[in-house]
Formats: sequence, C-alpha cells, structure tokens
Amino acid sequence: MSPRDALVAVFLGLGVLVTLLSVVGVVVARNVYQRLHFVTPGAVLGPLLAAAAVVAKETFNVRGLQTIAAVTAMVLLGPILTHATARAARVREKGDWRLSPTKERDR
Amino acid sequence: MTVWLAAAVAMVAMLLPLGLMAMRGSTLDRLVTLELASATQTIALILLAEGFDRDVYFELAVIMAVLSFAGNLVYARFLEHGL
Repeated sequence: MSPRDALVAVFLGLGVLVTLLSVVGVVVARNVYQRLHFVTPGAVLGPLLAAAAVVAKETFNVRGLQTIAAVTAMVLLGPILTHATARAARVREKGDWRLSPTKERDR
Repeated sequence: MTVWLAAAVAMVAMLLPLGLMAMRGSTLDRLVTLELASATQTIALILLAEGFDRDVYFELAVIMAVLSFAGNLVYARFLEHGL
C-alpha cells in the first residue's frame, strides 16, 4: 500500500466514522434542536473528508474538481438549511421566530 | 471490494437507521432526518463514482448536492406554517 492509498483510507475511514456518529446522534437526540446539532458534522465534516480522499487520489483533475464543487455546495448551503429548519421548528412551537415579537414591534 | 466501495456501502447502510427514524417522531424530526440522509447519499454517490470508475456519477453528486438543498428548503418553509 502506497502512502497515498493509506492517506485515502484514513480520510475515508474518518469520513465514515464522523457520519456514523452523526447518524447515531440524530437517532438518540431528544428533540429537533438537538438533532440539528448532530446533522452538522455529518453534512459538513463528512463530505469534507470524503472530498479530501478523492482529491488525494485524483488530485485536481475533472473528478477532483467536481467533488470539490459538490462538497462546496454542501458546506455553504448546509447551514442555511439548518437555520431554516430551526426557524420552522420555533415558528411551529411559539408562533413566531423572534424572542418577543410584541417588544420588537414596540421598539 | 475496494476501499471506495466499502465506504459507499457504509454510507448507504446509514439509510436504514435514518429511514426508521423518518417513520416515527414529529414532522420536523423527519425533515432533519431527510437532511442528513441527503448529505450521506450525496457522499455515497461520490464514493460509488470513484469505486466504479464512472465520471458521470460525479455530475450526479453535484446536481444532488444543489437540488437536495432546494428540496429540503422548500419543505422547511412549508412546514413553518402548516402540515
């Protein structure tokens, strides 16, 4: 096994481990807000490690660049989705996403 | 089986607990599960593309990364006020 293959195996192993822990966290968490915290490692760190493995093998050819494009989209858009989901949970729970809608209106 | 395919199988296997999770819990719990499932399966597509040595699967992963975001965002916005 060459050093590059070993590096790929390490990145892939870490990526799978992070994603697995993230899945376990989502399953055992008690409410939607806790679950959202566990989504982030699986949706950001896992893809980054997988992309690192692909780039370590392919360098910056078409495959490497397409992988970087996919993972960049996931890393940039993931937090927006997390925020939208948390906002939806709060609106369903409290009727409004603000801490105190009446006080903010009076300000 | 290469290390790529082994990792891809592990990623696809994560659909099982996520699928079970999506069958119970509140509506938003299911949405959170869908978000994580989208991320894991996008990674799985990348790993399968590398494992099977197919360039076209990489394009699928790029498309899935963007479209799954749009789909999940629409769900989040709809669930904010109903269902």
